[in-house]
Amino acid sequence: MSVVQISGLKKYFDAVHAVDGVDLSIQQGEFLVILGPSGCGKTTLMRMIAGLEKPTAGSIHIDGADVTELPPRKRGVSMVFQSYALYPHMNVYNNIAFPLKAQRREKKFDKATMRGKVENIAKLLEIDELLDRRPRQLSGGQRQRVAIARAMVTQPAVLLLDEPLSNLDAKLRANARDELKDFQRSSNITAVFVTHDQIEAMGLGDRIVVMEKGKIQQIGTPQRIYDDPANEFVATFLGSPSMNILRAQGHRFGFRPEHFLPKTLHDNPANSVSFHYFVKRVEYLGSDRLVYGYVGGHENELTLAKVPSNVRVSLDIEGEYEFAVHHDNIKYFDEASGERVEAQVAGAAWR
Amino acid sequence: MNALGFVLTNFWALLVLAFLGLVGMRIVWRLRKYGATRRELRHVLRRSPFYFVVLVFCFFAAAPFLIMFLHTFKTDGDLYRRPQPFVYRQEPTLEHLDALFNNTAYLDFIRNSVLVGVAVVIITLLLSLPAAYALARLTGRWGERAGILMFLVYLVPPTLLFIPMFRIVVLLGLKDSPLSLIVVYPSFTVPFSMWLLQGFFKAVPPELEEAALVDGYNRVEAFLRVVLPLSLPGIISTVVFTFTLTLHEFIYGLVFIADTSQRTLSVGVPTELILGDVYFWQPLLAAALIIAIPVGLAYNLFLDSLVQGFTMGAVKG
Repeated sequence: MSVVQISGLKKYFDAVHAVDGVDLSIQQGEFLVILGPSGCGKTTLMRMIAGLEKPTAGSIHIDGADVTELPPRKRGVSMVFQSYALYPHMNVYNNIAFPLKAQRREKKFDKATMRGKVENIAKLLEIDELLDRRPRQLSGGQRQRVAIARAMVTQPAVLLLDEPLSNLDAKLRANARDELKDFQRSSNITAVFVTHDQIEAMGLGDRIVVMEKGKIQQIGTPQRIYDDPANEFVATFLGSPSMNILRAQGHRFGFRPEHFLPKTLHDNPANSVSFHYFVKRVEYLGSDRLVYGYVGGHENELTLAKVPSNVRVSLDIEGEYEFAVHHDNIKYFDEASGERVEAQVAGAAWR
Repeated sequence: MNALGFVLTNFWALLVLAFLGLVGMRIVWRLRKYGATRRELRHVLRRSPFYFVVLVFCFFAAAPFLIMFLHTFKTDGDLYRRPQPFVYRQEPTLEHLDALFNNTAYLDFIRNSVLVGVAVVIITLLLSLPAAYALARLTGRWGERAGILMFLVYLVPPTLLFIPMFRIVVLLGLKDSPLSLIVVYPSFTVPFSMWLLQGFFKAVPPELEEAALVDGYNRVEAFLRVVLPLSLPGIISTVVFTFTLTLHEFIYGLVFIADTSQRTLSVGVPTELILGDVYFWQPLLAAALIIAIPVGLAYNLFLDSLVQGFTMGAVKG
């Protein structure tokens, strides 16, 4: 069952088309990640779901009701902001209770019920010791939990998260990611998470929406998006280092550096395509060796290979080697549109 | 009176004694805490010039108040005797203070000034809080320009406006009443306060308001519950500045109100106590000192937020 149904959504800021025709349906209980480079319209899309931005065209339905024209407070959504936006003049308890105090005006419940709700969510997020503190007395990680507690305390239909991990340091971030996912699973809440960090997106998302220039480029599971990109943008945006793209007659083709390995490592040479690979530089990254070089016939196109360190092949600078890629790992893209095409359509010579 | 007389006649000696006593106590306290070692003594000596400079500045700042206080209790003969007008050679007297309170409408002036000040502060806040918020947040293409235009209004001097304003006051039937000032003063306090408050509102991150909107409040509630509490220093500076602006305004107060008992301090005191070229110095100084003390205390109390108010306007404006 879909909780959020978005159709034909557009947002123009004068000449800038921030969101340019988005159709999307978000399922109950899923963790949906909206991924894209900065300026791709992902935050604008989320702010329109929250009601903080008025769409130029299109509609948004939440739980079946048309909320396109409704203010944020009537949508049943809550949001965790990138800066957490905790109220500095209130202690943690009052921060978390703030949305409940708004609800109390319509749904009558007493103070004890409110306290109970706040304490429950605080215990769940392990911040029940901090209820008397002010936001400025908290660490980054604690602030983030308070922000999530405040967003969750009203049990919203949808939880929107705007890059909530980007203010944490790297070590804390991995931990927070894990906890966030656990928390979302156990509470079975529908979460929409905006990020530009592909590792976060791959790790958290049940489905990922890749956006660029205000348009959705692809929607799918992390594996689907990585292994089966819909177009050249998705193919190169995901993966680090990004996919090698080489020019051929009338099309482009690409393969990921980790699939580009010495020919001897491929068990069935008949299933793969070989290249002469000229090595220019090798970086030792611990678990892998990152090789910079180029492929015979494509001297001007830098091509990377990511060779696991436990593969005992010596790779010398200025050396020439036989490398190969499995057929299935080569993706073909239309020269003009960048859309993915089949090998037959591309007319690849090695088929 | 005896105690006061003793203080006044030995004023400068007592001041020097009090100062030396304070300095001595401070040095003794320090030496007791850290021990009277040579190092400590050297420290005291090294810091002395710094405190001496501070002292000079303190005296410079306090001198007007000291002199006002000193002269309030002088008899005319003592005041006008030359040279050395800063010491008592006749008995101090309370007659001028008595005259100020009993022969002039000084208490009425205070009452009128406070009444006008409080009313104008309330009106100014009611008008400039929403206006400043709108300028800080809801600006379209014209918002900024509208703000500058309104500030330009503040720059038109009252000396140009008092005649047309007087016509308006007469039309409204408010001549000779402090109400006329309550109506007219917001014309310069509102633009000023609006500009001051705008800087504070801009310093509140918009995300906090958006969080309140998502948390179930409308824009007005978000403003009242989130923006206002966070702008409290700005509101305090606005109140203090607005109040002092009304307190020292002269020309409107002089023109609109001819009835002495209805006048405010800034007009009433000089018109009552300066007759032609005759200055009644002692009651004049007393009247100024009595009103200056609470204002000075208010400024000191809110000094931090006042400074913040102006620097914020300067940076974010």
